[in-house]
Amino acid sequence: MTIDGLIEELKEIFELEDVELTEATNLKDLEEYDSLSVLSIIAMIDENFGKRLSSKDLQSITTVKSLMELIGMDSFE
Amino acid sequence: MNNPFSLEDKNIIITGASSGIGKQAAISCSQMGANVVLIARNEGRLKETFNKLESGKHLYYSQDITKYHKLEPIIKNAVNAVGKISGFIHSAGIEMTLPLNVLKPAKFEEVYSINVISAFNIAQLISKKKYIGGKTSFVFISSIMAQLGQPGKIGYCSSKGALISGARAMALELAHKKIRVNSILPGMVKSEMSLKLLNTLSDEAKKKIAEMHPLGIGSVNDVANACIYLLSDASKWVTGTNLVIDGGYSST
Repeated sequence: MTIDGLIEELKEIFELEDVELTEATNLKDLEEYDSLSVLSIIAMIDENFGKRLSSKDLQSITTVKSLMELIGMDSFE
Repeated sequence: MNNPFSLEDKNIIITGASSGIGKQAAISCSQMGANVVLIARNEGRLKETFNKLESGKHLYYSQDITKYHKLEPIIKNAVNAVGKISGFIHSAGIEMTLPLNVLKPAKFEEVYSINVISAFNIAQLISKKKYIGGKTSFVFISSIMAQLGQPGKIGYCSSKGALISGARAMALELAHKKIRVNSILPGMVKSEMSLKLLNTLSDEAKKKIAEMHPLGIGSVNDVANACIYLLSDASKWVTGTNLVIDGGYSST
């Protein structure tokens, strides 16, 4: 998956139709950010990167960039 | 005085709209001022329902709802044509009377697919912010058989039970989006599905069934009226509940 692909998936999860999402966006500031959206992120990462992260792993993330680093920058095309 | 049961300016998607409860619910909703979007497989019967609707911005789509990936284009199309969705009635469903020894997994998959999964699939799609208006109401037509057992009905009962359990969890998950989710549990009503079932029984068995309903066998209107209530603002404080409409059957 590309970085753009990840951003598209995140936009889908947080239902951000016309709102911009960049690597610098802090996910925890988003309106739809809650424990359920964290589960959606975990499922999306498992499906697209084959990596099983836990809610605990995601506690530390802030920006989209920090999520990318958690997944591993070499996982992206 | 404002009529709290009015469905004026509400856009309602209805599956199973070609017959039975779904058909009457569509007609009744249109009579209360709603714009209805009918979905069913049989185009001929869909058109029949469509022609009986009170005037409004109505649409119909001939579609097998177990082809899950085909639903989003329909919803998108409907939203573009009539506006954001205010309500959803899942009335599509099949009966299944088979003893356990012939209930292969494929039969379970069949009844769960049409009775349950297609309902949750549509609910998932409609619940996206881009498709809903300010207040939304989902109504799943379950059955009193969700709470009662009967030999030969493992597939059917479990499918109807799945609907009410899912609805309850969904109600909590979607409350923050102002989406209410409720189930209606009808007893036996006169419909194409029940007539087909009754015709397989002896006269004595038929009499027995009628006698078990203190108020007799019901009509599709009895259930359609319950749909109106749950879709309207009159039920704005009602979510996650099961509305039993059964002529007293389950109380006996």
